[in-house]
Amino acid sequence: MLGTWLRLRKKGVVGLNGRNHEYVMRYNKRKSYPLVDDKLRTKKLALEAGIAVPKLYGVVSTQHDLTKLDEILGKHHQFVIKPAHGSGGEGVLVIDGVRRELFVKTDGRALSLEDIKYHASNILSGIYSLGGIPDQAMIEYRVCTDTTLAPVSYRGVPDIRVLVFKGVPAMAMIRLPTRDSDGKANLHQGAVGVGINMTTGITTNGVWQNHVVTEHPDFGVPLAGLQIPAWEKMLELGALCYDLTNLGYMGVDIVLDQNLGPLILEINARPGLAIQIANQSGLQGRLDKVEALGEIPASAKERAQLALTLFTNS
Amino acid sequence: MPNRKSFAIPPVVLLGLLLTALALLIMFMKVQKLHMPLLPGEESELWTVEARIDFTGRRGPARVNFRLPEETEGFARLDENFVSRSFGLSQSDAAGYREATWTRRRVEGDQALFYRVQVYPGPEAFASVSNSDEVPVFPEVPDYPEPLASAIADVLETARSESADIFSFANHLIATLNNTEDENVKVIRDARPSAEWEQLLTEILAGARIPSRVIYGVSLREDFLEQPLITWIEVNNGQRWRGFDPQTGAIGYPDRFYPWIRGQADVIESDTVRNLDVNFSVSKVSVAQEALAQRVESRLLTGLMNFTLYSLPIPTQEVYKVLLLVPLGALVVAFMRVVVGLPTFGTFTPILIALAFRETELGWGLLLFVLILFSGWLVRIALANLHLLLVPRLACMLVVVIGLMVIMSLLSERLGFTQGLSIALFPMVILTMTIERMSIVWEEHGAGQTIKETIGTMLVAIAGYYVMNHPMLVHLLFNFPELLLVILTLCLAFGSYSGYRLSEILRFRDLVKGDK
Repeated sequence: MLGTWLRLRKKGVVGLNGRNHEYVMRYNKRKSYPLVDDKLRTKKLALEAGIAVPKLYGVVSTQHDLTKLDEILGKHHQFVIKPAHGSGGEGVLVIDGVRRELFVKTDGRALSLEDIKYHASNILSGIYSLGGIPDQAMIEYRVCTDTTLAPVSYRGVPDIRVLVFKGVPAMAMIRLPTRDSDGKANLHQGAVGVGINMTTGITTNGVWQNHVVTEHPDFGVPLAGLQIPAWEKMLELGALCYDLTNLGYMGVDIVLDQNLGPLILEINARPGLAIQIANQSGLQGRLDKVEALGEIPASAKERAQLALTLFTNS
Repeated sequence: MPNRKSFAIPPVVLLGLLLTALALLIMFMKVQKLHMPLLPGEESELWTVEARIDFTGRRGPARVNFRLPEETEGFARLDENFVSRSFGLSQSDAAGYREATWTRRRVEGDQALFYRVQVYPGPEAFASVSNSDEVPVFPEVPDYPEPLASAIADVLETARSESADIFSFANHLIATLNNTEDENVKVIRDARPSAEWEQLLTEILAGARIPSRVIYGVSLREDFLEQPLITWIEVNNGQRWRGFDPQTGAIGYPDRFYPWIRGQADVIESDTVRNLDVNFSVSKVSVAQEALAQRVESRLLTGLMNFTLYSLPIPTQEVYKVLLLVPLGALVVAFMRVVVGLPTFGTFTPILIALAFRETELGWGLLLFVLILFSGWLVRIALANLHLLLVPRLACMLVVVIGLMVIMSLLSERLGFTQGLSIALFPMVILTMTIERMSIVWEEHGAGQTIKETIGTMLVAIAGYYVMNHPMLVHLLFNFPELLLVILTLCLAFGSYSGYRLSEILRFRDLVKGDK
């Protein structure tokens, strides 16, 4: 036990207490939290800055609004319903198509309009929101997975998590949905996280249920060696989000749409630590490198360039 | 951040040292000056008896007389005080006994007055409750009306034939008078309201020219709470007094009896107020042997003593005995979260469950907790199909949980497990929320996570139970509430801990598998 403790220290692995204490509490101003905790505000903020996000179809704010839900859904055959204040992918419902008045989930199960309303009603009650406060349900564009990533994604959209420290992308992974995760790209729901080499944008090995894996648990294809498309663009998007939120330590979730390219999905002010297992590397060293930088470039593009070269040895 | 690497003392460490030093200083003073015991069990018996007088004003002047405890050999009264609020208070012993009188020009609504006395029972106190040598005068035979007179004469005659001396006579007489089958007894008992039973007994004893009197008092036991005075009978055989149970005739006094007043009298009396009532509570005070000796000597309270929890009304003290344990539980939760990393349902839910365990005993508490959680969860699954809104659904679950508690209590009563009755002590709102959280975790994260969090919750509750039930800790916190500052310091320490959680060592172990 103690041996593992010391080896973790040596490797520079950051624990939850360390993350909260040394980074989240130190670098993230409390008043910036609402910007990212409320996904509607994040979306608005990104749009104002000219950053692409999945299109918002509508918002349900009161139980009464639910009667208008079919109106909002209207002609859309594919959409996502999620809580505006959700966390960790909880309460996200992805509909892939409509068949005979029924909405078909990614796993092929069909839901009636009533089921969808009940789900939205639960969201409004605050079941999924932090602290159980009443919430809003967002209905938005369902991202169409890029063809390069489709072969490693089980019925869902993979997303790329970029950890941005003081505006500099410091570590990244791609999260692949699995059968376990019900098409969702959240690690604690069973998705696979795969580390990404910051310099090249090529995947390394993966983490699944906190264990290192080399193959996709559903498809058996190797996880390493996959080139993430538009890598530099993604790093730049991550760096840009720092200008939007001023959060010194955050995780930016980016999805790659087949037609629209990289879109910002959400920003997390308390990003998880499994990214370290996916990258087989501790965060401490990289964060120390950024802290040691005398001056951090003001432009997001330069910060993204910095990220390409800064972490070649770690 | 350069200050992280510098060697200046962080403010949180400074604050912690300051708080701990302050707490230890106050504690040291209390041990030195008041001789408050550091260890449980070192204390000797000192009892606080508190009388609570309740009444309702009649929108006019009010006057309430209260009989103060009489001197009794073997018992030392150390300190008396009154909580008079806006009433005027006067004391007199003009009538031959000590009496306190509260007065006020205009009284409206419900009022409560308090009288508190500290009693030190000497080593022989309970063995000799009424030990005076004075021989009372033999009473005159009272004039009873018929048919009471002949009934009493019959009963006295029977008792006399069956007894050898005055005490056995009294014993037989009272026993007979409590046998309600007897025709004579029926006549006698119907003569007076049952509240005057003890008085009637003394009058009947007077019919045999035996001196007797009513005596009122309390039991110096910690379970004597919010009760009226015990009414007892004393009989004199020409040499000494002995106690008799007025309901059975058994010779002796109630357990650990402290006499308040003797002779037929109302302890409280007033004709200007309504709903007059008086109740007594007893609690034990821990005082070190040597400090007690000093105080018995001087009968004075030191100023510092006023800053201990013992100066509060007794029911409030009982509340604080429990409340002071909650920070300990919170400390356990903080430790389990930050250092161990156990997942639980809700942050402070385990402490509330642990508090309930204190009443139910651990094994039964756990069993009942799991039973109610499991059956509540089954109902919750059924409710999920009805598509109810969240708050009404929680209300439904609350109703179901209370229903389950009633059923389990009834079942356990039937089956003879009295421990099952204590299920009523569980915090039901907390149980309801726990069931709701549990079913959501089940739906979203599966059985594994649910079992993990349930076990986590139970482990924290068990740990909390052991810490909150530790006699040493309970004793220390109640006697030295300044130790809260030490708990605060420990919380500060956990709050600043930035090392790994034990659970993370497991979680990240794959990261360093090959490393040396």
